[in-house]
Amino acid sequence: MKRSAARILVVDDSPSIVTSLSKILELNGFRVDSAFNGSDALRKIHRHNYDLVICDIEMPGISGLDFLERVRREYERDLDVILMTGFLEQDYFLQAIRLGASDFIRKPVESEHIIHAIQTILEKKRSRTEFANLFSLMDNAQLNIVIDPRKFSQFGISKVFNVFFKQNLKLSQDLCNELLTCVDEMVYNAFIHGTLELTPQQRRYEHDQLQKLIEEKLQEQAIAAKRIRFSFSVNQLDNSISISVEDDGNGFDYLSWLQRVAQEPKLNLDDNGRGLSMLYHLSDRLDFDNNGRKVQITRKLAPQTVSEL
Amino acid sequence: MKIDLSFNDKVALMRIEGILNSENAHILQEKLSEVLASDATFLELDLFDCRNISSTGIGKLLLFYKDFIGKGGEIEVVRSSNNIYELFSMLKLNQLFTVNLG
Repeated sequence: MKRSAARILVVDDSPSIVTSLSKILELNGFRVDSAFNGSDALRKIHRHNYDLVICDIEMPGISGLDFLERVRREYERDLDVILMTGFLEQDYFLQAIRLGASDFIRKPVESEHIIHAIQTILEKKRSRTEFANLFSLMDNAQLNIVIDPRKFSQFGISKVFNVFFKQNLKLSQDLCNELLTCVDEMVYNAFIHGTLELTPQQRRYEHDQLQKLIEEKLQEQAIAAKRIRFSFSVNQLDNSISISVEDDGNGFDYLSWLQRVAQEPKLNLDDNGRGLSMLYHLSDRLDFDNNGRKVQITRKLAPQTVSEL
Repeated sequence: MKIDLSFNDKVALMRIEGILNSENAHILQEKLSEVLASDATFLELDLFDCRNISSTGIGKLLLFYKDFIGKGGEIEVVRSSNNIYELFSMLKLNQLFTVNLG
């Protein structure tokens, strides 16, 4: 499979360094964008998918370390960041390692050194995306997970899928955020409504009180025996992603809900159905099955969104 | 997700970064409770770096809104990202309080 040129963002408050480094990278076949401060760089990585960011540490406003910290907090580990500095102080170095910098480059930048560092990082990144290639080569790939509600709180499903989406699907940041919100809505609904069957009043409890109630409910045999079935599939033929979640609860009257939505296309602010309304808003298609116990959303993707890896 | 809350006399400024979802909505609830317990009568929400808000987060905000206007308070979204602006318009939250874009 032919690989497209890696896209790199160069961030430095010095226009001359940005220009010279960009030239070196372009001459070596990379696609290059630039930013002159940390805020601009954060906006750019929110809008575009970069394979790598090369960022100066000493910048006014958001420093390189602040930038790296924000990237790790919001984008997990999939974006490699090389930090550049004129002073290799130990404190900087340790903090950058702790935050997960992919490499360090000393200024003035030596072209041979930076190209070698980039190639090493991109090679590691390609190894990480072997599993992702599977998704791009299959007509249809599906991932099924059965969740024991007693273990639900031991992992953050949004964090897990944030990493999964980032590593295996080349989605825009906006689309990724919207799918993560859908995953959160669907699984949380299945847990709170279908599994625990909490009343509206109980759902309004303060956090500690709610957690105590959840722990008590999970001790009940009938609730502990329930499961949440999560399915995620990528269909290359019609370029879409589907996510479904099914619980062992009582279901709900989804036909009445659909009628209400048809009459009022804007979302409702009611306590019941707000999550479903958000799914309706964020998906191209919303389906129900098994008396409302199963909810499925389908989201069409722009051509080549999935396979462009 | 990160929430910064500061007070300036009767004005509370809350800045939310990242995705607000069911896993972290309780942090919003705690911060909103702080505002409610304070002397603040105006809440400025900066949602420019907020990527998305789940229904749980919206629920916390609406519960707070009812209590806050009950004690004479007002809310304004002073900045919001495109996603949040669109979401708040769809939810008709812009009919409850001012929502500014960008």
